[in-house]
Amino acid sequence: MSDRFTAQLSAYIDGELDDLSRARLESHLAECLDCTRTVAELRAIVAAAPDYRGREPSRDLWNDIERRLDEPEVVPINPSRPAVQPSSRPTMQPSRSRFGWRELIAASIVMAAVGGGAVWVALDGTVREVPTAAAPAPITAEQQNVEFADREYDAAIQDLELLLARGQNRLDSATIRTIEQSLSKIDEAIIEARAAVQRDPANAYLSRQIAANMRRKLNLLRVATQAIAART
Amino acid sequence: MTQADLDRDDVQLASAGDHDAFERLYRRHVARVTSLARWLLDAGEADDAVQEVFIRVWQKLHTFAGQSAFGTWLHRVAVNLLLRRRQSLGSSRRRQVNDEVQMLAAAGASERPDLRVAIERAVDLLPAGAREVFVLHDMEGYKHDEIAEMLAVDPGTSRSQLHRARLLLRQQLAT
Repeated sequence: MSDRFTAQLSAYIDGELDDLSRARLESHLAECLDCTRTVAELRAIVAAAPDYRGREPSRDLWNDIERRLDEPEVVPINPSRPAVQPSSRPTMQPSRSRFGWRELIAASIVMAAVGGGAVWVALDGTVREVPTAAAPAPITAEQQNVEFADREYDAAIQDLELLLARGQNRLDSATIRTIEQSLSKIDEAIIEARAAVQRDPANAYLSRQIAANMRRKLNLLRVATQAIAART
Repeated sequence: MTQADLDRDDVQLASAGDHDAFERLYRRHVARVTSLARWLLDAGEADDAVQEVFIRVWQKLHTFAGQSAFGTWLHRVAVNLLLRRRQSLGSSRRRQVNDEVQMLAAAGASERPDLRVAIERAVDLLPAGAREVFVLHDMEGYKHDEIAEMLAVDPGTSRSQLHRARLLLRQQLAT
């Protein structure tokens, strides 16, 4: 067996040698039993490798997986209508929606609680179906940074929470309770995703999950405060 | 009915939200995905990573166009996710079995019921760099250029690691 030729055997098997090198190697193989046997053994390994059977995980993971299947997923962002505009503050203008505030709140709660984007209720009054458990729409890191910068987000949330606290006596107690429960769930999801991002900072999926939950919270608060404004 | 037929039917059902169909897909493919996770990550990371893979696959099922076999698509999703996860874990936590002596010493313990099983066991013991390239190239069908990009190495490094892996495997299987 020749070291010179041994180094070329993988490239030969994979068809990556140029014509001259292949011809030289094949001449050598015609005379060298060791190299011929090595080529045969390597070919057998290469042929068998894709058919590996795999090994079961150390425990049955299905129950854990199934429990997480319907957890909130990223809601696609509609580029024509950014959910959060850092430069703008929520206004108390009544919604132009043709829907009543109860429907808007209910829809926002569904959106926030169900996740996966069962229904997207736009504040301009349109209703769009989006796929359940949709994959995240293309969004650049820059967009996320701009739209969901923590400082801007916190300021917007504070404004909206203040408006909600001041005006919540205009909503019935069941609606307020539902809003509070949904906000609490969203907060938990954000905290959980932030903790996960700390463990896995490069995970873009987790970052989008945080952004999606922030947007859900903002939307829910916006709808609630608009409902209050409409009843003022 | 072939596995591809079963997969196709279950993908259709699972895409509509059928958990039972997705469980069947999981059970048919979990072993190979688990091995992938063990080879590309630390064995201790495998279970978490496998869960993440299947949840990701569930979320992306509607994007599966059926142009390739479901298993092929699943493995692409899995490899991408596992390598991203590996990057985020950092090289310090990656298993490093750089001592080829360890591999050769363990060779005598393998029973070699058949070549495929013997190869799987031997892959466990390959040095990390050689193992990753062997898994991606020979087991998963990626090209050297793709592997170079995925692992942030030179294509020449990918080729040399593959050759090294194959020779080490041959050496072990011969014992």
